[in-house]
Amino acid sequence: MADKNELLPERKIKVIIAKPGLDGHDRGAKVVARALVEAGMEVVYLGLRQTPESIVHAAVEEDADVIGLSILSGAHLTHFGRVRELMEQEGLGDRLLTGGGIIPTKDVQSLQGKGVGRLFGPGDDLQAIVDYIRSWDAARSH
Amino acid sequence: MNSDNGTRLSIAPDLWARFFAGQRLACARLISKVENEPELLPEIRDRIIPRLHGAVRIGITGPPGVGKSTLTSGLARRAVQAGHKAGIIAIDPSSPFTGGAFLGDRVRMAGLIGDPRVFIRSQASREGHGGLSPSTANVADVLDAFGMDRVIIETVGVGQAELDVLTCADLTILVLQPGTGDVIQTLKSGIIEVADLIIVNKADMPGVGALQDSLRFLFDMNARTKAKPVPLVLTATAVQDKGLDEVYAELERLIRQHHESGRLQEKKRVRLESEIKAALEDELWGRFLSLGGDREDIAALADRLARSGESPYPAIREIGSRIRMQFDTAKKD
Repeated sequence: MADKNELLPERKIKVIIAKPGLDGHDRGAKVVARALVEAGMEVVYLGLRQTPESIVHAAVEEDADVIGLSILSGAHLTHFGRVRELMEQEGLGDRLLTGGGIIPTKDVQSLQGKGVGRLFGPGDDLQAIVDYIRSWDAARSH
Repeated sequence: MNSDNGTRLSIAPDLWARFFAGQRLACARLISKVENEPELLPEIRDRIIPRLHGAVRIGITGPPGVGKSTLTSGLARRAVQAGHKAGIIAIDPSSPFTGGAFLGDRVRMAGLIGDPRVFIRSQASREGHGGLSPSTANVADVLDAFGMDRVIIETVGVGQAELDVLTCADLTILVLQPGTGDVIQTLKSGIIEVADLIIVNKADMPGVGALQDSLRFLFDMNARTKAKPVPLVLTATAVQDKGLDEVYAELERLIRQHHESGRLQEKKRVRLESEIKAALEDELWGRFLSLGGDREDIAALADRLARSGESPYPAIREIGSRIRMQFDTAKKD
């Protein structure tokens, strides 16, 4: 009922966190996932060795607002590009694709030109990720 | 909540059309509306209920980490191989402090992702404290109307007394693992009594025999004193996919049995009864607030009583009679 948890935000932001491809380093993804949970979001954690197809399939079933990818393998151009393409195909073009990893600046620019959101790297503050997702969500018309 | 006129209809006709045409994203959108927009429930229930096919709801419950998600995945795979369509609702707990939730059940269900015969939805428990989310029962019906004929409901990892699954599911599988306590634990009331089938998972670990003995001791006693049939205890090692053929066969046998005995129908009736009660409670609470009752009044009353050390009942009686009077006046108008 509406009078419970009056201090909590009404609508929960639902985020998918996944690691696409053959990249076994999932500590960063887990840390970010926990930070988003601490910020009151509902995080569906998919874990390691996901394909762009499996990620977008899950995002459809979960009706996720945000997809966050963690990529440390160097395959970011392929994976972010393909996930964005599938999002458009599956009707998720209005959702946010963001993420992080070791991604050179020129690649960040190229990906952002293709509809990918802000990308984070080593040393970025967790709060910056939370704030970014919140402000994207606030600006979005529901 | 208390809009009485017909203006609250607000789901786009296009969404309904896409839902009934079998579009997955439309189904997912509708589930979000069930979860987040309670004011839309009457419309959703009106449209969904005539389209129910009678999916069987299978509850899977048990302590955290015993292998519920892995077992769910194995059973769903067998269900689709047998020609069924399987919906899965996997619930994990919400934080009581931040309201956030880490939903990790899909990690164990990787083998099912992408299969068009399966629809998986993760849910945060939110205000639910009985092992489910408040919207789980309605989400199960959305999946039923979408064409799933087996809906597996995986509860949060539970302790001893989270029993919402008992009404929400048509039948309940309790998953246990060895090494979690002696015979005293199995003698306690609560969750162990609601199971229609018990799985001792992680059967490759030591202590399986002791757990089976404890359960046998309990159910031997129960067999003499209770009318309720004694649940079968099966062993499995879900992560190696061992023992699950037997579990699935027993599950389907139970479904047939419950169908014939009328128990599935009875469960449906019980769920409708609790839905009606809950909706009326909401409605009455809305009326109470509109008749001048006030959340702040209640907060102020609690504040006063906490300091004075008085019983709340005189004040409750007074508020009650005030509502009755206002209600009577409203009726005459």
